[in-house]
Amino acid sequence: MFRSRSWFGGGLWRNKNPHSLEHLKYLHNVLSKNQIVSENNRGLLVETLRSIAEILIWGDQNDSSVFDFFLEKNMLSFFLNILKQKCGSYVCVQLLQTLNILFENIRSETSLYYLLSNNHVNLIIVHKFDFSDEEVMAYYISFLKTLSLKLNGHTIHFFYNDNTNDFPLYTEAIKFFKHPESMVRIAVRTLTLNVYRVQDASMLRFIRNKTAVPYFSNLVWFIGNHVLELDTCVRNDADHQSQTRLSDLVAEHLDHLHYLTDILNLNIEALNDVLIDHLLNKLFVPLYIFSLLPPHSNAIKEGNTRVSSVVSLFLLSQVFLISRQQPLVQDLAHIILRGTSVNGENSSVLAQAAPVFVAPTKTLEESLDCDHVLTSGAGNLGFYYNNLNITDEEKEQMLAQEAPKIFLDVIVNSLDCTENDYSALFALCLLYAISHNAGISPDLLDGLLIPSSNPEQKPRYTSWLVQKLINIITLSCQLGCKVRLVTLELTISLLLRLTLKDRVSLLTDAHLAAVLAAREESTSLLRNYYKREDIFGDMFESEDEELRKKPLNVEWLMMDSNILLPPTGTPLTGIEFNKRLPCGEVERARRAIRVFLLVRDLCLKLSGEKETQLPLTNRNDCVQSNAVLDLTNSDLLSCNVIGPDGVRNHRFLVVESNQIMLVVPVPGQLGFGQPTLSALLHDLDVTADKQDVKSLYISAKYTTAGPMVNTRFIFDDSIRCMAAQQR
Amino acid sequence: MSYAYLFKYIIIGDTGVGKSCLLLQFTDKRFQPVHDLTIGVEFGARMITIDNKLIKLQIWDTAGQEAFRSITRSYYRGAAGALLVYDITRRETFNHLTTWLEDARQHSNSNMVIMLIGNKSDLESRREVKKEEGDAFAREHGLIFMETSARTAANVEEAFINTAKEIYEKIQEGVFDINNEANGIKIGPQHSPSNASLPPGSQSSSPSSGCC
Ligand SMILES: Nc1nc2c(ncn2[C@@H]2O[C@H](COP(=O)(O)OP(=O)(O)OP(=O)(O)O)[C@@H](O)[C@H]2O)c(=O)[nH]1
Ligand SMILES: [Mg+2]
Repeated sequence: MFRSRSWFGGGLWRNKNPHSLEHLKYLHNVLSKNQIVSENNRGLLVETLRSIAEILIWGDQNDSSVFDFFLEKNMLSFFLNILKQKCGSYVCVQLLQTLNILFENIRSETSLYYLLSNNHVNLIIVHKFDFSDEEVMAYYISFLKTLSLKLNGHTIHFFYNDNTNDFPLYTEAIKFFKHPESMVRIAVRTLTLNVYRVQDASMLRFIRNKTAVPYFSNLVWFIGNHVLELDTCVRNDADHQSQTRLSDLVAEHLDHLHYLTDILNLNIEALNDVLIDHLLNKLFVPLYIFSLLPPHSNAIKEGNTRVSSVVSLFLLSQVFLISRQQPLVQDLAHIILRGTSVNGENSSVLAQAAPVFVAPTKTLEESLDCDHVLTSGAGNLGFYYNNLNITDEEKEQMLAQEAPKIFLDVIVNSLDCTENDYSALFALCLLYAISHNAGISPDLLDGLLIPSSNPEQKPRYTSWLVQKLINIITLSCQLGCKVRLVTLELTISLLLRLTLKDRVSLLTDAHLAAVLAAREESTSLLRNYYKREDIFGDMFESEDEELRKKPLNVEWLMMDSNILLPPTGTPLTGIEFNKRLPCGEVERARRAIRVFLLVRDLCLKLSGEKETQLPLTNRNDCVQSNAVLDLTNSDLLSCNVIGPDGVRNHRFLVVESNQIMLVVPVPGQLGFGQPTLSALLHDLDVTADKQDVKSLYISAKYTTAGPMVNTRFIFDDSIRCMAAQQR
Repeated sequence: MSYAYLFKYIIIGDTGVGKSCLLLQFTDKRFQPVHDLTIGVEFGARMITIDNKLIKLQIWDTAGQEAFRSITRSYYRGAAGALLVYDITRRETFNHLTTWLEDARQHSNSNMVIMLIGNKSDLESRREVKKEEGDAFAREHGLIFMETSARTAANVEEAFINTAKEIYEKIQEGVFDINNEANGIKIGPQHSPSNASLPPGSQSSSPSSGCC
C-alpha cells in the first residue's frame, strides 16, 4: 500500500534537495496549509510525514539546525492534530511509522531529549486509535516497543511522571497483554521487561503499587485459562487427533513460564513479592497442586475448577525445570513435599482453607482506571499455607510427622505401573525436577529426594519411595509389560539420584538384591530374542549406540506434548520409539535390548564398577592415519584402489588382528608404513567381481577416513585376490 | 484491500548486519539509496502478489530482546518465515549462523521457511565472506540463499518475495496447517468461511481498508 507514487513524488520536488533545512521548511508549510485532513490531501500528508522522518534523521547526523526548526515550529503538535481528526488507518499508520523511524534511527541523545521534552509523545500513546484494525494495532505496539528500547535512567522520566503519577507507555501497553495476536502479546512482554530493567526506584514503586496487582492477577488468570484449555485438549484426544493443537498449548505454557522467569530473574524484590504471591496463591497451588488430589477428596470444595492429575504433574514438572527462583520454588516444593491435611481425620479444615482458582474481581482496564492504590496481596491460603511459612522447627516437624502428606502421597502412588505408566512418567519427572532444582534448599530434600547429609543417620534414604522405583524397574523386565523405555530410564536416573552419594551406593542389601534380580530377569528376556533374531548382534550394537548418543534430557522430554496423550504402541503417531510401547516383534527385541542395557548400566553404577565391555566394538581402536607402523613381519598385499569417483591409488593391504588397513610406505624408513585408512573387519562388506577374478568390491560404514562405498580393489593376480577375500 | 493470506516473518541475525534497514527498504521503497543514509525500522507490512493472490507480509524485527529468553522463544513460534541475515563484510556474523540456526530450529515450528541473506553486497571491496561460502552453508542446511544490499536495494524484493513463494507452495502442498494461527499464517477475511456471505465492500472495518 505504500507503493503508490503520487503525482508530486518525482515531479514537483525534483529540483529541491530533499535533505536540507529548506525542504523541511517547505514541508512545514505543507502541514500548515493542510491542517484539516480530507479525502484530497491524504496522499500529500502521507508523503509529507515520510519526508519529515527522512530529513530529521539526516539532520540528526548532519545539521542540527534541522532539529531546531522542527522543535521551534512544534511540528509534533501537527501530528497530534492530524490524529485527533479520525484520519483513517492510511494516515494513522504512516504517522506511527514515521514516529517509529524517527525513534529507531535518532542517534544523538540531545535530539532524542528534544523529541521527548514536551508531552506530545505521551499524548500520542494515550490516543484512542482504532485497534480493531490489525495494521494500526501492529504499528502502534511496535512504536511502543521501539520507545521501550530507548528507556534508560534519563529517558524514563519523559515517560513516567512522578507528579501526576502516571506512566502511559507502560499502562497502555499492558492492556494488550492477552491480545489474540501473538506478535502483539510478545511486543507487550518485551516492553514490560524493558521497563522493569531500567530499575528506577520511583518508577518501580509506581509499577508495584499501581499496576502490579492488576497486571499480575490478570496475567495469572490468563495463564490458568490456557491451562484449562490444555486440559480439555488432553481429555478429548484419546485418539491422538489434535497433536498440533496440543503442542501449541504446551509451547504456550512454556512461553508463559519463561516470561515469568525472565521477570523474576531481574530480581526486583518489590515486584517479585507480588508476582510470586499471585503465582502461588492464585495459580500453582489452587489449580496445579490441588488437582493432584482425587476429584472427590474431602480437601476439595464442590465445583472447584481443576485439571486432570496427569496434566497437573506435567505442568508442575515444567515449573520446576524452568524456574529456580528461590522463594517461588522453595514454597512450592514445601507444599508438595510437606503439605498435610493438618489433621488426618478432619480434612474439612483444609477444605475451608483450600484456595480456589477464580477470576480477578476486576479486569485489568478497570483496576488501572480506578484511582486508589492497590496494595493488597493475593494470599488467601490463610492458615494452611501461612502455617507452613511461619512455623518454627518444632511445629513444622509435628505437622510433618503426624499427618499424612497428602500431595506427596498422591505423587508416590502414581508411580504404580501395573496398568500403565501414564501418570508414573510425570510423577517421576516432577520428583526428578524438584530434586535437581537449585533454588530449593537441600534441607527440604534431605533424605527424601537427595541422600541424607548425615551418614550416621538411618535410614539414609526414603525406603518406601525407593521401593516404588525398584518396582518399576522389576516390572520393566517382564515380558509384555506396559512400562515405556523413557519411564525406565527416568526411574533409573532418579534412583541413582536418591541413593548414590559421592558415587557410593547407599542401597540396603535387600534393595540391591531386588535390582540384581531385575537384571537377571532382563537377561533372560533378552535370551528369547538372541536365538530368534539373526541380526541380533547388529541390533544390539545399534541400540547401545542410540542410548549413548541420546542420553535422557528431562527438560526436552517435558517440552514434548505427545507424552501427554495416553501411551500408545503404534509408530504411526510419529511418537519416538522410547516414548511409546513396542510394536511388532523386532521392536520388542529392540526394547528388550535397551532394558538390558539400562539395567546393566544401573548395576555398574551402583557397584561403582567401570564399563569394560561396551561398546562391543570400539572404533577408536582403529589405527589412526598419523601412526607409523613397523610392518616388517606383516603380510602385505599390493593393490590398486579405485573409489566410486574413479580416482586410482596404489596401496598395500594389511590385515592385523581385527582390522584392515591400507598403507603407504614411509619414505626413508624401509619396512615401515603409514595407514591411509583402517576399518574393523566386521564392518566390511566384501563382494567378488564376477567379471574380473583379480578384483574385489569392498564397502564399510565406518572407516577412519569416513564411509567407504563400493570401492574396487585390484590385486596383482587372482590368487592374491582370493587370499585377500579370505582374510 | 483485503488479502488472501497474511504471512508473519521475523528477521534475525547479529547486531548491525542490517536487519532494520532491509525491513524498511522492503516495506517502504521510498527510502532509496539516493543519499548516504540507510534508515531502519523494527516493524513493517507490505502487500505482494503471488499467483494472482494478494498476500500481506508482516515483518517483525527481533532486535534488542537477546537478553530475554522468553521473547526470542515466542517470536520464533509465531512466524511462518525467517530471514537469517549476516554481513558479508564481517566474518564473525557468518560464523554465528550455526547458533542462530540451532535456536531457530529448536523453537520454531518445523515448517518455518528460512532464507539466508548475506547483506551489504554493495561493499564488495570490504567483503570477508565469499558468495560461495553462503551458498554452501545454505545448501548444507537446506535454506534458500541470496546476497542483498539494503543500501542499493539489490535483491531485497526478491529475498522477501521468494520466501513468501516458498511458504505459499507449502500451503498449496498442504504442509502448513493454515487453520492454526500459531504458525504465523492467517487467512484473509475474504477467505474465511464465516465472512464468505458478506457482499464485497461491506467489510468496512476489515484490515487495511484505509483509503488507498
Ligand atoms: N553499505 C551498507 N550498509 C548497510 C546496509 N544495510 C545496513 N547498513 C548499515 O549497517 C548498520 C546497521 O544496520 P541496521 O539495520 O541498524 O542493523 P540491525 O541488524 O538492525 O542491527 P540491530 O538492530 O542492532 O540488531 C547501519 O549503519 C546501516 O546504515 C547495506 O546493505 N549496505
Ligand atoms: Mg535493528
